[in-house]
Amino acid sequence: MITVVGLSHKSAPIGVRELYALPKERVPDFLLDLVGRPEVGEALIVSTCNRVEIVAAARAGSDLGRVAAACRSAFAGLSPEAPADGVYALSGGDAVRHLFGVASSLDSLVLGEPQILGQVKEAYEMARRAGTVGAILHRALSRAIHTAKLVRSQTAVGSGQVSVPTVAADLARRIFGDLGGHTVLLMGSGEMAETVARLLAASGARLLVVGRSADKVKALAEAVGGEAHSSSELGTVLEHADVIISSTSAPGFVIERDAVARARRARRGKSQFYIDLAVPRDVDPAIEKLDGTFLYNIDDFSRIVSESLASRWREAERAQAIIDGEAKGFDRWADGEQATPTIVALRERIRGALRVELDRSLGGRLRHLGGPERAALETMLEASVNRLLHLPTTRLRRAASLESLDTPSFPELTAALDSLFALGEGDAVASELEPSGPDAAPLESVPSGEVAKLGSR
Amino acid sequence: MATLATIAFYLGVIAYSAASTLFFLDLVRRDGASTRATWAPRLLGLAAAFHAVKVAVGLSREAPMESLHLALSFSALCAAGVYLLVHRRANLFATGAIVAPVALTFLVASQFVGAEARVEDGISRPLLAFHIAANVLGVGLFVVAGASGILYLFQERRLRAKQLGTSSNRLPSLDTLDRATHRLLVIGFPLLTFGVVTGAVFSGHWEAMEGAALARSLFGYATWVVLAAVLVARRVAGVRGRRAAYGTLAGVLCVLLVVLVYALKPGGHGS
Repeated sequence: MITVVGLSHKSAPIGVRELYALPKERVPDFLLDLVGRPEVGEALIVSTCNRVEIVAAARAGSDLGRVAAACRSAFAGLSPEAPADGVYALSGGDAVRHLFGVASSLDSLVLGEPQILGQVKEAYEMARRAGTVGAILHRALSRAIHTAKLVRSQTAVGSGQVSVPTVAADLARRIFGDLGGHTVLLMGSGEMAETVARLLAASGARLLVVGRSADKVKALAEAVGGEAHSSSELGTVLEHADVIISSTSAPGFVIERDAVARARRARRGKSQFYIDLAVPRDVDPAIEKLDGTFLYNIDDFSRIVSESLASRWREAERAQAIIDGEAKGFDRWADGEQATPTIVALRERIRGALRVELDRSLGGRLRHLGGPERAALETMLEASVNRLLHLPTTRLRRAASLESLDTPSFPELTAALDSLFALGEGDAVASELEPSGPDAAPLESVPSGEVAKLGSR
Repeated sequence: MATLATIAFYLGVIAYSAASTLFFLDLVRRDGASTRATWAPRLLGLAAAFHAVKVAVGLSREAPMESLHLALSFSALCAAGVYLLVHRRANLFATGAIVAPVALTFLVASQFVGAEARVEDGISRPLLAFHIAANVLGVGLFVVAGASGILYLFQERRLRAKQLGTSSNRLPSLDTLDRATHRLLVIGFPLLTFGVVTGAVFSGHWEAMEGAALARSLFGYATWVVLAAVLVARRVAGVRGRRAAYGTLAGVLCVLLVVLVYALKPGGHGS
């Protein structure tokens, strides 16, 4: 029913992935071009830093193999010079499970990260706006998003923090709650320390930067949006800081126990959280014994991150079971949907035949009927089509199910219907179905008294 | 009326039990949004409403100062009421995991341990009513303060041990718990002081103090001394956090001992 063609962090390095990355502004044209191909009925593209994947559905009458080939060709067109080694193509149930797994963040670089669901939703929305989403992808994406929410609410696959900056920010919130109105002190440079500081500042904390080199401190303060202070002010600044992030290259402790004890007295016992990201360590571990003082070093953070990841992987099995169940439900729906083109064509054929007869009668002996009577006849026509086709529709859908053992089989039934009603041959051939000769008994032949009764119902 | 009180009692027990269960499940849940967080306080509110009906029926028949079980029941109702009033504003949702079972315990205890108290002649009835009301409300406030203190120590221990279970992020932050404990003590302390002072006034009418009454008085004074020390230490020396939480719990323990002595050896004022 659907196919997925693309590459991800699992199959291709970033150097290859970036060659295939599709800017947002080019997405609509790319998708319109793709559905312009005879095999592809619907398409969307998920393009993130970790994956570029086309999700496509076949046009009626086209098989998934040809759709996958068309998508591969379109995908290669994104970057003709890039190697195609890491490009994969999945079809049918495998593609559905993959899509559901991607939306549920089981296929993410960081297992359980929440951003991917938003990215999948955005990809769907862009395709919908471009007009390249039909019933199949609509259903597939709706179920994928639903599955991702189930996974998130019923498993702990997204629990805990899995990066040092987010663990640090989480700990700060566990100690201080809302960080607005609190002060963060950043000592030393370093990408991780700066990220932590930015994260805390984004939560409303005031940022102070302390260092030995005035120029470097000033530049760093400007970069992270903080206030610069010299290292000689450390004692005073320490008294005002609630969170202290230290990442200097000093060979010994920069923050001694006595300094912390003094700051603690001056702060009248208010809590302090020390984040020591330096190796060798900047903060004397003896401060941990002080009441209201919390110290985490790089090993502590690494251990917490590892534990969170391990916990997520344990939960991934439960998440996969949910995905399998939901994918099976989609498969059943998709199997049933195979019968839809035949059912639609059959309904059109029957309705068309009845319509011809009705129009003929309404233009002849029934021309005197007023609006309500004509509307009643229209309703009767629709009801007749529904009643006539209810059983064939049910049986066709049941036969379309992969698990069905009915005879005749689904292909046999569709072939028979195609042949009997000339479903694939247009209106010209359908005229052969027009009645003629003595069997023809149009409504005009009904006695006028009966028609009058019909109109009065 | 007795039937109404009985029905309200059983419905209150059911609602408190359900609220306690939901609070606990929410504390230990692993991840994801939960409707428990919405329903637990609602169920506690429902339980408090049934509880209030039972208390109202009791008040229509007897004065609280003459009935231990009514006073006990009233204290539990106050604790639930204080929680419902402050939990949203003070971000103390998780404290309900302690307040709800305590209220349930007090409600059940009030049904089975009560005994009529005697009021000696010569004791001012209005003053006695204020004395009981202050103590009852104070117990309610201190129960919530004690709950906050317990959660503070639990959260602080986990942070020090660097064991970040997935359940602990359901708890309020340390600062929030510390601040809430302090504020509840500040509000409850004048009531406690009033209760202790009026209790001392009543003791003047006591001709002979029995062992249980003496124990009650001593635990009452101990509560005042401990909680006063906690408040003064915070004000003067900035003692807060873990040590303040331990101090608060010691004070609350004294309060509970007063209640326990009352439960084990009932006796009225002036006896």
